[in-house]
Amino acid sequence: MATDSSAPGLGNEKAGTPGVEPSKPTGDYENGANVGATNENGGKSVFVNSEPMREDQVQNAIKFLSHPKVQGSPVVFRRSFLERKGLTKEEIDEAFRRVPDPPSNASTTQVATSTQEGQLQSALTVQPQPPVHTLQPAAVTTMTVPTPQKSGFQWSHIALAVGLFAASGACTGLLFKNAVVPRLKSWIRKVVSEEDELEKKDQLKPRPIDEAAAAAKAAAAAAAEVARASQEMLHAKNEEGKYFEAFTKLLEVQVEEMKTMRNTICNLEGIRENPRVLDQQISKQFHSESGRPLSAPASIQPAGGAPHSQQFMDVMAMVQRGEKPPGIREINDKVPNATQPLTNSRLVPKSKPWEDTSRVQPSSIYISQTETKVVDSPASGQGAYYANGSATQTQYRQPLRNGTPMAEQQWWKQKPEPNPSYSFNPDRGANVTITEAEPENDGLQTQHSWAPSKESLPRRAWVPPPPPPVAMPEAADAIRRPRSSGWVEGAGDERSTSSLGIGVEQDGPSETGVLGSVKYDNSEVYGGTSAVDEDGSGKGLDTIVPLETEAQ
Amino acid sequence: MPVFKFPFHGYSVKFSPFIETRLAVATAQNFGIIGNGRQLVLDLTPGGMVSPVGFDTSDSAYDCAWSESNENLLASATGDGSIKLWDVASSSLLVNLHEHTREAHSIDWNPTRKDSFLSASWDDTLKLWAEGRMQSIRTFREHSYCVYSAAWNPRHPDVFASASGDCTMRVWDVREPNSTMIIPAHEGEILTCDWNKYNDCVIASGAVDNSIKVWDVRSYRAPIAVLMGHRYAVRRVKFSPHSEGMIASCSYDMTVCAWEYRAEDALVARYDHHTEFALGVDMSVLVEGLLASTSWDQAVYVWQHGTDPRAS
Repeated sequence: MATDSSAPGLGNEKAGTPGVEPSKPTGDYENGANVGATNENGGKSVFVNSEPMREDQVQNAIKFLSHPKVQGSPVVFRRSFLERKGLTKEEIDEAFRRVPDPPSNASTTQVATSTQEGQLQSALTVQPQPPVHTLQPAAVTTMTVPTPQKSGFQWSHIALAVGLFAASGACTGLLFKNAVVPRLKSWIRKVVSEEDELEKKDQLKPRPIDEAAAAAKAAAAAAAEVARASQEMLHAKNEEGKYFEAFTKLLEVQVEEMKTMRNTICNLEGIRENPRVLDQQISKQFHSESGRPLSAPASIQPAGGAPHSQQFMDVMAMVQRGEKPPGIREINDKVPNATQPLTNSRLVPKSKPWEDTSRVQPSSIYISQTETKVVDSPASGQGAYYANGSATQTQYRQPLRNGTPMAEQQWWKQKPEPNPSYSFNPDRGANVTITEAEPENDGLQTQHSWAPSKESLPRRAWVPPPPPPVAMPEAADAIRRPRSSGWVEGAGDERSTSSLGIGVEQDGPSETGVLGSVKYDNSEVYGGTSAVDEDGSGKGLDTIVPLETEAQ
Repeated sequence: MPVFKFPFHGYSVKFSPFIETRLAVATAQNFGIIGNGRQLVLDLTPGGMVSPVGFDTSDSAYDCAWSESNENLLASATGDGSIKLWDVASSSLLVNLHEHTREAHSIDWNPTRKDSFLSASWDDTLKLWAEGRMQSIRTFREHSYCVYSAAWNPRHPDVFASASGDCTMRVWDVREPNSTMIIPAHEGEILTCDWNKYNDCVIASGAVDNSIKVWDVRSYRAPIAVLMGHRYAVRRVKFSPHSEGMIASCSYDMTVCAWEYRAEDALVARYDHHTEFALGVDMSVLVEGLLASTSWDQAVYVWQHGTDPRAS
């Protein structure tokens, strides 16, 4: 403990007193705020992880983050998993830094920023992106595979067709040339030798005609071939299209499988006990707005298999069917009067029992100070305030405090009788199943005892401190000064009141006018200063004193 | 009769830090699944418990907290994410703080500063509020699942802890931007946490694995005590304001247990007065040994530790 308290606080920019033992009693309540400040600076080191970074853990994390299936999961889940495994924030950040994954790095920088507003939104957007990213490259790769084939097919087909056309065209051209030229020639010859025998013309004609016919036939055949070839091409295209569709379907199936695998990985890593919680997680991811039962976490749908009553199951079934159970009223819980003030406090905050650790009072002291405080208790009409301060180790063995009728009526203060012998009965019957601590002193240490044993720290008496002297007379004046501050009702004064002790408290109940009535405005009441931050001196509220005053 | 019955299902009970005979009970209709809520204020009288004031809410009330600065101010966390501040003396709703986007599950008032409080919500965040402010001062967003509980450190005014369904318990300092410690306390969802009032470095957590673990934050790799005995998930743990070693807990096994975590045999008492899941337990700061518990069985019991809650 000594080493821990002497370790410098991480990021402790406040030059407080290091090495302050956090377990030291904080002293009087009046100084509680101040001591708290110094304790915070030293105690701040206690609430911060001061372990050095463990390299083996970082390596494990890197292995985990480098796994391909993990890289498809959202960053939030990865961080959550590592946190559950006990890694510190520094180790997790280091692992994210080292894993070379650009999308996760970008998301990591998103996550690592402080005051992560909208981290949820960014996480949600990161979520669909990785699957889309993985889909797209896969789709692109698969797309490129058939298209070359397709274009290859296309190109080959086109080349074939072009070649055929060219060939047929050339053939026909040649043939026609062969046919036309001789025809021309023959025609010329015919014209020239018209006066010659016409039988020669007749004899010459069939040959070019035959040749032309043959050429036409050949052209037709070539055209038919081309047509067939183009038809085949179409066919092949259709088949290719079908193959492609089948391919995409297979891809989709694969993607679905990957998605389910990813989900099961996440869920397995979550090691949830209740399978209902898995559904809740998944449905919570997608922000199902269909009502509480689907997205209720373990606190409504108790995990661990705790049996539900039939009533509960009926209500759940009704809601999941979409019906509303009867008896639900429309309640207007809007603020009726926005400027209504908070009723003045007539009681002063009491010091807590644990803030009084420096004192061990004997049992017989009754708390006279508390009797001066007005207690709005209907039970204790006379305001007699029995001190339970006799809280020594042996208190529970004292007989019932039944000295006065009032004590008997205040059943909530009656201590249990000594030596009750109840049996510890795990069955939930009508028996009272209370295990009571053995009242013998010797058995205190080993036996269960809700009273601390003798070796432990002495029982704290709930005794407010004796009134310290008026340390700040100006504060006493401040209390008497009329305050017209906001609805906070001068809680800062309460603190100084209590710190000043009884001397001022006696005026408390009658000073309703002094403290002024308070307002809870809807407008921003404070002038921008937070009541909680600032220094740790506990005087935060005093900064809110200058507020607008309103006529009473 | 230290029992009070009401029409809804009890979720949380808190003693007033000012009036020793006053407590607040947050209740919800239809087990909190759907429907209205009701914030009750109860007074202990020699004749039993009476309810002078009750507030209706449109959605379930999951938790309540008394102000530490004014005995009339009571805060409720409700199922639509809003936090309502009530004036008990004038029976009116003063403020409606609606920032959480999902159910607000827990409220804790700062016992040292007395003017600020925390809310924990199923929207994975915690928010810090201060009296007089209509907007939250800070939002703490780190958990990756519902935050079930928040608890201020009783000695350090700026330090608090949160318990979440992402299986981690985090220690925060409001002056720091991020959490200062991450404790992977349980293998399952952690439903509750509370600080030791006498040892500011000791914190207890209760989870769905039926166990309560007590941690020292200075060496948080292993718990200093593991309290087994509940048969189902532990819903709430509370360190005693009067005894350093005593813890009270309630669970879905319908019992309220008292523990002395420093002892070998830690279970000190088991109270099985409830007939449904026990969701709320509190120990009075003003009256030593006084316990209160509430449950889905539509009742709240107040009794002295060591006595039978059902006894008149």
